[in-house]
Formats: sequence, structure tokens, C-alpha cells
Amino acid sequence: MFFHNFKYSLKTLFRNKAMIFWTFAFPIILGTFFYLAFSDIENSEKLDIIDVAIIKNEEFESNELYKAVFKELSDKDNKDRLFNIKYIDKDDEKEAKELLDNEKISGYLEFVNGKPKLTFKSNGINETIFKYVTEGIVQSAYMGRNVSETKANLKDISRKNLSYTMIEFYTLIAMTCLYGGLLGAIAINQNLANMTCQGKRIATAPVKKWQVIISSALSCYITQILGVALLFIYTIFALKIDYGNHFFKVVLLSLVGCLAGLSLGIFVATLVKAGENAKTGIIISITMAGCFLSGMMGISMKYIVDKNAPIVNKLNPASMITDGFYALYYYDTFDRYYFDLISLLIFAFILIGISCIGLRRQKYDSI
Amino acid sequence: MIVFKAFLKILNKNKSIIILYTVILVVFGGINMNASDTNTNFVASKPNVMIINNDEKNEITDNFIKYLKDNSKIIKLKNNEDAINDGLFYRDVNFVIYIPKGYGKDFMAGKNPEIEIKTTKDYKASLADMLITRYIQVASTYRDMGNTDTELVKNVNETLAKQGEVTITSKLDTNKLERITFYYNFASYSILACLVYVICLVLSSFKDIKIQKRTIISSTNYKKINRYLLLSNGLFSLILWSLYVILSFILLGNDMFSKQGAIYMLNCFVFTIVATTIAMFIGSIVLNKNAINGIVNVIALGSSFLCGAFVPMQWLPKGVLRVAHILPSYYYISTNEAVKSIETFDKESLKPVCINTLVLLGFALFFVILTNVYSKKKQKIG
Repeated sequence: MFFHNFKYSLKTLFRNKAMIFWTFAFPIILGTFFYLAFSDIENSEKLDIIDVAIIKNEEFESNELYKAVFKELSDKDNKDRLFNIKYIDKDDEKEAKELLDNEKISGYLEFVNGKPKLTFKSNGINETIFKYVTEGIVQSAYMGRNVSETKANLKDISRKNLSYTMIEFYTLIAMTCLYGGLLGAIAINQNLANMTCQGKRIATAPVKKWQVIISSALSCYITQILGVALLFIYTIFALKIDYGNHFFKVVLLSLVGCLAGLSLGIFVATLVKAGENAKTGIIISITMAGCFLSGMMGISMKYIVDKNAPIVNKLNPASMITDGFYALYYYDTFDRYYFDLISLLIFAFILIGISCIGLRRQKYDSI
Repeated sequence: MIVFKAFLKILNKNKSIIILYTVILVVFGGINMNASDTNTNFVASKPNVMIINNDEKNEITDNFIKYLKDNSKIIKLKNNEDAINDGLFYRDVNFVIYIPKGYGKDFMAGKNPEIEIKTTKDYKASLADMLITRYIQVASTYRDMGNTDTELVKNVNETLAKQGEVTITSKLDTNKLERITFYYNFASYSILACLVYVICLVLSSFKDIKIQKRTIISSTNYKKINRYLLLSNGLFSLILWSLYVILSFILLGNDMFSKQGAIYMLNCFVFTIVATTIAMFIGSIVLNKNAINGIVNVIALGSSFLCGAFVPMQWLPKGVLRVAHILPSYYYISTNEAVKSIETFDKESLKPVCINTLVLLGFALFFVILTNVYSKKKQKIG
């Protein structure tokens, strides 16, 4: 009986096209969008070579210090190159203004009465750096001697793996795991006498209830894992997402994440006395709210919640999954990972436990 | 009237969807609306720096810290490594500097003590790096000249206070327009999702084979039914557009009462027309009600992600933007981005806006024709 029910609930799940779309295809589509939209953000935050202009009047020509510094900072062979400088003849001042207006340059430098004068269109980081370098020369000139060549003796002890867009993809995995709850709800609904005709038949049939429920749940779990595995394969091989170097821990976390999703589905299907659409709506809302808090719609959201109201994300399954992947990616130690993993297990067992109590001894005189 | 009533009935059943997308718009449109100071003076960008000082109190170290405080935004996090690492990962802090014990003394003894740092390696971190390097270079120079502690502090501060003269040409407060642009860019998602969802649902309800058979044999002319459907869809779009425009006035306030504000509104109106035609087209080809939800999500999220409704256009990869040219949202968002930097309204500056609008209207025409061609083919049933 166990295997019989397992086989058929697996078959019914795969025939439910809408569910297959939401649990299999939708995460992959969303992941592709994330990838297309976010792949360049971090690169654009790196310091680029800044386009600027300098008006070449006599004062500039005669100022060896400025000429030397800007020459060095715009030298193509200098690995610390900062600027791409366009020198403009003093008669063509208009050209500089035009370049600035069309945002071809961040700003231009002009000597007026022996003093450097900078013109920018707006505030910004490139403008700040241009101003900063110019001031450096002013300050050196003020000191009246060569500035010490001493480089600051800085030792970088920051961690590698600082790519924060990864969080988007971790929340995506979390979403997929929890969307598995939709499958769980469908499978349980089929066995509930107050939900479907099939449920009524099962309720009167001489089979043990635990066999039916567990075999249905197992078929959901397997379907779910298949969906998550597909997403992993896609994100790792097509989108080149980095999950860190601990393959088995990643797999373990996903398996437990799926279990949490499944338990959520069973819990809602059992305890909420409402139609199928309402149950689906509740599961989707919980999942999306959880993903929102764990950073899917704005990565800093997770940080804000973690910092100001840590308890919220300690109870949020989507955040437990996301945080677990984050811990594997960013940290060397596993304390945080195991904390998340165990929290998820506790979450799943509490929900399953309550559902078991709810599912026991349901009897109807008439329905 | 009966068609219109049916339309309203279906609309009423699905009001939660409209509320949902509107709430999303308000929440996300609102998140980005931190008030900003308006000024035409230059304001230097400041990196977020966290300082952990392990040195005892002395003039050299204190002055170094004071300099950092003046030139960067000091972030205070819990002084434990996990909090700092999290802060770096989420870019709450760009640069963490650990000043070692005995730094001031060692520095004055002619050494160049090692300072441990943590950095996010982005442009703000580079700026913090430059600040520190500059300070240490100037300070070492004075130290090598034989300055005492107090002399050094005085000289360093005097030197670093020398600033260049800066003028800003733009009189436009881009920050304010930035907020409006973000709101209207995001609105493209809500409008597209809402319209496609509702209109598809309405059309598919009328296309239900039993209902369609009944309407065909009824005494009402099919042209009349179609006209009413078109009218009610148009009316719904108009109401949705007005709702979002009114919301923008509430959320963004006075900034909307400007020439730029008018263009944002009109542009949004044109986009609403295009979105309606897209919705009518999709509604005419999709018959399965269960599929609508999926289609809405893919189309609305897809065009919003690819065209820069969520992530600003300048941060999108060039290849993505090239592909985005085939989507109407791209032209709508381009106009919004262009309006942001228009200072004087003349032929030259409005040219890209006009071109984008024409392309949008072209899209609308294209979808109308497509819908007609398709429904012509599907006219006969059973």
C-alpha cells in the first residue's frame, strides 16, 4: 500500500502543471533575471579610471609639480593609474564645458590667478577623488618640500568572498525549498476527507493513515529535491554561483531546507481549515515575506533585520537557509552554519509534530 | 452596461491583486526616499569607516583619528569580529582600521608601524585608503623634519586644511529627481503586472467556451461587446494610472509640480496605453486561467529586471541593455532617466524623449494589430 500510494501521488504531482511551473521553472527563470540584472553591480563599484580634462594655459605649463603628478597618475603603465586626462588648449575652454555637460568627463581643472580651480557638474565619488588629488598637490606645494615617499604600511586582513550579490541566489534557493510546501499541501489535501473526494475514499478505506500520509509526504519530498537539484545545477554551471567549498554541507543544508518547506506545507494543509486556494495563498505569502526579510528584494534588508531585530530572522525559515549558505560562503568556522541547520530541523519537527496531532483521529459523522 | 457590470464583478473579485502590486510600489518606491539636503556647494563623498583603536591616549594617534573622523563617516558596530565581518559583507562599512598598541610612540620613533585593515575593495574603500596614505605621508614628512609631537600635529593639520576651489555647474537637484525617477521606473512593474493580470483574467472569463457560445447567440452584437470590453479595460487602465500618479504626488510631494514631473506623468500615461495593448494581446492568446499568474510574473519581472526598473540602468551589463531594446519598458525607463538630467527644455534636450514616446506608441500599434490578426484567425469555434 505504501509503495502504491507513493507511486500515484508522485504521478499526480508531476501532472500538476501549475505547481511544476512554480517549483521547477519559476526559480530558474527568476535566477536568470537576477543574474542578468546583478552581474555587473559589483564591478561598477570598483574604482574605474576617471575621465577628466585639464585646461592647458601658461600657468599650468609652467607648473612642473602639477604636470608631473598628473602625468604619473594618467600613465598607462602605472598600475595605480587614476585618470584619463584630456588636455584642452586654453582657447577651447568651451570644449571642456561641453564635455562636462555631456558627462564625457567628471570635471576639469583650470588655473586662475595661480590657483587651481575645479569645475564639476555634480557631487560624486569621481569628483571627490579628482578634488582630493588636486588638494594633495596644493598641500605638497604648501609644505615646500618633497612629501615623504613612505607608503602607509597597511595589512589587509579582510576575508575573501565578499560578493554580496550571492545572497540573492541564496534567497532563491530558500524560496524554492519553501515553495516545496505547495507540493506538500497538495499531497496532504488529497488525503483529507474534508478537502477532496479522493480523501473521503481514503478515509473509508482499510489502510493505515500513517502509511498514506508518509508515502504522500515522501513523494513530495522527492519532487522537491529534484526541483532544488535542478536549480543548483543551473546556478552552478550556467550562472557560476559560488556556494563555497563545502559541497556536502551545501547538500545537507538544502535537504534540511526542503524538509522545512515540506513541513510548512503539511502544517498549513492540516491546520488551516480553508479551501485549496487559500492554503496556497498562505504558503506563498509566508514564503515571500520570509524571503523579503532575508534579502531577496534588497540585500541589505537581511542585514538590517539581523542587526536590529535578530530574533525575527532566527524564526524565519527563509533566513535560516540563506544565512546557512552565507555562513558557508563567507566564514571559515561552521558554528553559524550548524546553528542555522539545527534551527531548521527544530522548525521542521515542531511543525510536523503539531500536524501529526492535528491529523490524528479525524472522524466525521457526516461530511 | 451588462458587459461593464461583469467586468466590474471580476475586478472586484481580484482587488487583492491590485492592492498587492500597489503596496509593493509604495513600499519599494518609499524605501528609496530618504530625504536629502539640497545644496549647490560641493559635498565630498565620504567612505564608511570603522576605527578600532588599541593605542593608549597620545597626540599623534588622536590627531590621526580626528582626521579620519572629519573626512569619513564613522560607523560604530559591536566590536566583535562577526559583527564587523557582516558589516563589511553588506557594505555597511567600507573600511575597518585597527590601530595597533603603541602606534603613536612607534611612529615618532621613526618607524612605519603596520596597521591592519579590512576593506570591501570598492571605490569608497579606495578613497579611505587614499585618505590614510595621504595623512601618513604628510605626517612622516614633518616627523623626518624633526618636529615634536605638538608641532607635528599643528603642521599636519595646517597642511591638510589647504583645499582647492570647486564650482558646481548643475543647478538641478538630481537627488529629488532621482527619487521620482525611481518611483516611476518601479511603477512600470506594478502597472504591467496589474494590467496584464486583470485584463487577462477578464478576457479569459469572457472566452470561456460556454460563455462565449452564449454571447455569440445573444442578441447583443459582438462588436458592441468588444467595444464595451475595450472601453472598460481602457477605463481600468486610466484609473490605475491616476491612482499611481496621485500616489506619486502624495509620496514625492512638491517635487512633482515641475516640468519634469509633467513629463514623468505623461510618459507613464503612454506606457499605460502600451501595457494595456500588451495585456489585450496576451489575454487573447491565453485561455487557461491557471497559466495567467505564471505569465504575468515572467513578463512583468522579466521586463522590469532587464530594462532597469529595479536595478538602475547604469548598473546593468551592456549586453542586457542591448537585448532590452526589444521591450517597451526600456523606452519608458530611458525617458525617465533622460528627464532626470534635462536642465533646459529645448528641441535638442527633448529629442530623445520624443523618440522614445514614438517608439512606445509604435509598440502599442504593433500589439493592437497583432491582437486583431490573431483574433481574426480564432473567430470560429466548435
